[in-house]
Amino acid sequence: MPAADSRATRVYRALLRLLPFDFRSDFGPEMEIVFQEQHKEAGRRNGTTGVLRLWWETVVGIFRTAPAEHLAMFRQDAGFALRMMRKSPGFTIAAILTLGLGIGANSAIFSVVNAVLLKPLPYEHGERLVVLRQRLGMMDQRFSAADTNDYRGQTRSLDGLVEYHNMNFILLGRSEPERVETGVVSWNYFDVFGVKPLFGRTFRPEDEQPGAPAVLMLSYEYWIKSFGGDPTVVNKTFSMNDRVHTVIGVLPPVPQYPDENDVYMPTTACPFRSRPSTVANRQARMVQVFGRMKPGMSVSQAQADLSGVATNLQRAYPKDYPEGNDYSVKPSLLEEELTQNARPTMLVLLAAAGFVLLIACGNVANLNLSRMVRRERELAVRAALGAGRVRMFRQLLTESFLLAVIGGGLGLLFSWGALSLLISFAARFTPRAREIQMDAWVLGFTFLVAVLTSLLSGTAPALAARETVVGALKEGGAQSTIGRGKHRMRSLLIVAQVAVSFLLLIGAGLMLRSFMKLQHVDPGFQPENVLTMDIALDFVKYNTDDKQRAFFETLLEKVQTQSGVKSAAASMMIPFTPGMTMTSDFQIEGQAPAPGQALPKADFRIVSPSYFEALHIPILTGRGFVQTDRPGNPVVAIVNRSAAKHLWGEHDPVGTRFTGDEGKTWTQIVGVVGDIKQYGLDKDVADEIYVPMAQFPMMQASLVIKTTVEPMSIARGVIELLHAVDPNQPAARVQSLEQVRAESVAAPRLTTNLLGLFALLALAIAATGIGGVMALAVGQRRHEIGVRMAIGARPGEILRMILRQGMVLALVGVALGLFGALWLTRLLQQLLFEVTPTDPLTYLGVAVVLGLAALVACYVPARRASRVDPIIALRIE
Amino acid sequence: MEKSLSAVQGNAESFGPLTPAMFHVLLALAGDDLHGYAILKEVELRTGGKVRLSTGTLYGIIKRLLSDGLIVELRSRPAETDDERRRYYRLTPQGRHVATAEAERMDEILSIARSRNLLKKTRTA
Repeated sequence: MPAADSRATRVYRALLRLLPFDFRSDFGPEMEIVFQEQHKEAGRRNGTTGVLRLWWETVVGIFRTAPAEHLAMFRQDAGFALRMMRKSPGFTIAAILTLGLGIGANSAIFSVVNAVLLKPLPYEHGERLVVLRQRLGMMDQRFSAADTNDYRGQTRSLDGLVEYHNMNFILLGRSEPERVETGVVSWNYFDVFGVKPLFGRTFRPEDEQPGAPAVLMLSYEYWIKSFGGDPTVVNKTFSMNDRVHTVIGVLPPVPQYPDENDVYMPTTACPFRSRPSTVANRQARMVQVFGRMKPGMSVSQAQADLSGVATNLQRAYPKDYPEGNDYSVKPSLLEEELTQNARPTMLVLLAAAGFVLLIACGNVANLNLSRMVRRERELAVRAALGAGRVRMFRQLLTESFLLAVIGGGLGLLFSWGALSLLISFAARFTPRAREIQMDAWVLGFTFLVAVLTSLLSGTAPALAARETVVGALKEGGAQSTIGRGKHRMRSLLIVAQVAVSFLLLIGAGLMLRSFMKLQHVDPGFQPENVLTMDIALDFVKYNTDDKQRAFFETLLEKVQTQSGVKSAAASMMIPFTPGMTMTSDFQIEGQAPAPGQALPKADFRIVSPSYFEALHIPILTGRGFVQTDRPGNPVVAIVNRSAAKHLWGEHDPVGTRFTGDEGKTWTQIVGVVGDIKQYGLDKDVADEIYVPMAQFPMMQASLVIKTTVEPMSIARGVIELLHAVDPNQPAARVQSLEQVRAESVAAPRLTTNLLGLFALLALAIAATGIGGVMALAVGQRRHEIGVRMAIGARPGEILRMILRQGMVLALVGVALGLFGALWLTRLLQQLLFEVTPTDPLTYLGVAVVLGLAALVACYVPARRASRVDPIIALRIE
Repeated sequence: MEKSLSAVQGNAESFGPLTPAMFHVLLALAGDDLHGYAILKEVELRTGGKVRLSTGTLYGIIKRLLSDGLIVELRSRPAETDDERRRYYRLTPQGRHVATAEAERMDEILSIARSRNLLKKTRTA
């Protein structure tokens, strides 16, 4: 054959690879010579043009034939596979359920990971949005209006810089006054975020002018919740505090950060922010700042630019910004801010779901292998009839593909059913939870997983089928035989399943141990029978210290007399909530710091006198607050044990004084109280200083009411007392302290539950896997067992033999899992509380649980083996 | 290579209308037993070059006709010196029946066309 022809033949042969293997093996060689003849003739008759035309026709022909042939073959295989599936419904249901659970777990977790971690933020140019933070000394601080203006004026890396803070308004004119969480923002806030209103418009520059008519925008959630999604709400007016506000627009459903607000208003709506004295005061730092980087700008470039502005500010206003490194500003991507809390948990769960699927694949592969034993005859006959190896491989893969696709469909149903649960779960980690949905990505992912699953669960049996064919023919097909290789493969799959289950159980076990430790943390107070509610006073009406003090004192007096109330107190914040922190430094009398040494620092809390009594916080030395700790009398404070130990050391703080204003006023310490877990059970105790509400009146407080009855049962009565004091004053977040506590550990609890669910699923699948394989082995060895018993083996010995064989597999799996766990659980570190990833107790416990499960799974077939009647077993042979 | 065949039994009608290409292949084999390349040439010749089958299309058709039992592969080859990769095909009685049925069906259609004066009556197919 000439060289040119052979090159054409090679290309043609390559083209033929597009056709199904069977087709190619049937007709390939013949097609090749036909093509060679065509090629020769085309060249002879029409030269290059003829050859080119032939190529064109040939390529088109192959491209037309190949898909049709593949499809025809798939149809044939699928039809056959469906018949086989109907023939063994037990296997089919078990496989579909197992794969459905495995794939469902993955679809569900992927829908979360996709929405929260993979998709870009649902803001236009979300990837360019940054959060700015400034650090003064050791503390992150918000920005003042002057800071914001300077950064906006001087930055070269940002093309938008907007401010945000949160406050409460009171919506009047409804059946009850309602507290409305309000985001107070720059007029172009939504433009910088690239959010277009669903209805109406966003803010304009004139809305932010002093004296402009009061306007507001509704968040999507509040619009749905309070207005039933009524689009005519735009241009309606509402009385809020002392003014009439007009609704100008409704926001689309976008993640709200840093707070979930009901409404948004321009900065002029906030009387504190717009007060000329606040605007002029560089140290009135009350707002958060977001920026949008110019296109093509990186975070490090923005960082360099903003640091330059910071240096300018240090130079221009040395009184307001500390020197050198004590002042800095840092931009971080909003995308990361929104998702950083969710990332570790979601990735751990995704890995866990992946492991569950691996186990499910292993199990279905094993089921397939077991079934293969029963199908040896069929496969051998088909091989004898000329079904090639590849053909049979394809047939078996089609079967597992169908199983996986049906399982995948079931899995999608599972995850669709769990969607709302998943959203509320993810909402504890990120404001992006609302974006979770079953979209094309999730469908595509599920399909991909199903295909991978079919490859994983189908390849082993398909490979084994080859051996089966050879074996079955050799034996004449009278008695099915398990090839040694196939048995080894099944054992390997079992070992792998046990190992992965062990890994998952360790993960779940560690989370459980961690959660139990968290539950047993002593919070330092008694959360039982405590009712709490937040009250934010109308800032227009309660605009003086006296009015604020009088309101809370009157209210507490009334509540105290309510039946079922043991003691009523008010506090700036309730335990277990982040709330606001008021950290300040101060100087202790007689302890002037050395030059360059930092002043002592603590978190200040304002509480009413009964606070310690209501929460059963012990007074260790000195006294609690009393009614006489009022203006006009000496200013007093109480420190917690931590502050006493860290800041006063050996000395008793009671009787000593400190100053926060360089000695102009002094505060006397009158007592030391026990530590409490203010910020959460897993957080460290802070150094705290309590001051009395009468001397430091506040606009916003939480009621803390110790009750003698179920706390929620008196909530209504307390709200009525509140309305008796001021009918226009709402209460918010009415809940028992135990609810608050449960809420504070909900995230780890749910993570533990989910991981536990995955681990139990894995355990169940793996245990049934071991049981199934041992049962099959016993079935195969009936004859051998019969012989053993005929020559004197006792049932007990047979039982032990089978148990031993099963348990060896389980133990090898546990040993392998142990290594995997030691290596992989480091990734859990971040999620664990006071438990190391190598916690011996967890490892031991899980090994015992898994061992017992394996023992039970092996016991059933082992007992059956021990009851084999030797006469019957031998007669069968 | 020997190939086991599962002859499909049934009435010619059950095969339904054949595609033009399939019909051409059956027509080519109605004359003589042919190998693949010869079928291509025969079809091309009879249609005056209007129908040119590519190898992909031809063997897709051959596979279908074989599995439907309309053609068989010959066990013996006419010339011993021939390339042994070459395979010869023969129309089965079933295949002949189907081809005839198809020809008759077309004939009926042609009659209708003639009766509607769409074709000249003198023209032969």
